[in-house]
Amino acid sequence: MMSFSAHKIYGPKGIGALFVRRKPRVRIEAQMHGGGHERGMRSGTLPTHQIVGMGHAFKIGFETLAAENTRIEALRTRLWEGVTDMDEVHLNGSEHQHVPGIVNISFAFVEGESLMMSLRDLAVSSGSACTSASLEPSYVLRALGLNDEMAHSSIRFSIGRYTTEADIDAAIAQVRVAVEKLRLLSPLWDMFKAGIDLSTVQWSAH
Amino acid sequence: MAYSEKVLDHYENPRNVGQLDENSKNVGTGMVGAPACGDVMRLQIRVNDQGIIEDAKFKTYGCGSAIASSSLLTEWVKGKHLDDAEKIKNTEIAEELALPPVKIHCSVLAEDAIKTAVRDVRAKQGS
Repeated sequence: MMSFSAHKIYGPKGIGALFVRRKPRVRIEAQMHGGGHERGMRSGTLPTHQIVGMGHAFKIGFETLAAENTRIEALRTRLWEGVTDMDEVHLNGSEHQHVPGIVNISFAFVEGESLMMSLRDLAVSSGSACTSASLEPSYVLRALGLNDEMAHSSIRFSIGRYTTEADIDAAIAQVRVAVEKLRLLSPLWDMFKAGIDLSTVQWSAH
Repeated sequence: MAYSEKVLDHYENPRNVGQLDENSKNVGTGMVGAPACGDVMRLQIRVNDQGIIEDAKFKTYGCGSAIASSSLLTEWVKGKHLDDAEKIKNTEIAEELALPPVKIHCSVLAEDAIKTAVRDVRAKQGS
């Protein structure tokens, strides 16, 4: 099977597609019941206008794929290079095998949600527990091998078709200022600067 | 996430950020939380011979609500006697900052921090 989401490549919201292999057969359970449309897999009248929109978005996506990948990868590199000279900044995930438009960075000793508060006009999210309703840090980052503290200090930046170099430069500037400001507020930064190995500290978790 | 104006104010203009000499006999240090939890607060108070808190400083690794809770706490404890400072309740902090339910634990940590700092300075002074 393969799932497709129109809005993720600038198509309309409220439409997607599921490719289901015929041979060997895949058994799926219908989620929408009724007239048995789509060979019983998905009942309901199809929104033709949405399908056209999705199809056209895919067409544009396919035609621009190579050029866009190159352009977005360059923006991603620009963003990373704009912050990598700061102390204790780590790229999460593979450096060479990744989706070009997403970059996940940990800024050690600065908690993700507090950093997001300084980046309010940017489309970012954090792997920090504070940003999830369950107060658990991102299980994806954990699976990548990050410890909880690095997960709490992570920010995910998303780059897309309408992102410009100016946007990246503005983001870099805002991030640098915010990280510096929040490190001055951080007891962990103090301890790091004093040469203390944080993994040896006895914390009194609440 | 919607932050109250007061939380935003403390985040943009945190009060009493810094450190005191933790080796001084008049200084109590309360370090609570853990990096693995995404919340670490270090609260320090300096008391005079009458047990009045003359100065307070904090540093926090945590979200906006955690920073605001600890910043507010340093404002509140200044000028208070140790006995009164350790009576500050997390609910008072949460109410003042209009913390949503999911952020109440930040105020709890701040309450822990002041209690730990008070305990620390009392232990140093043998009282």
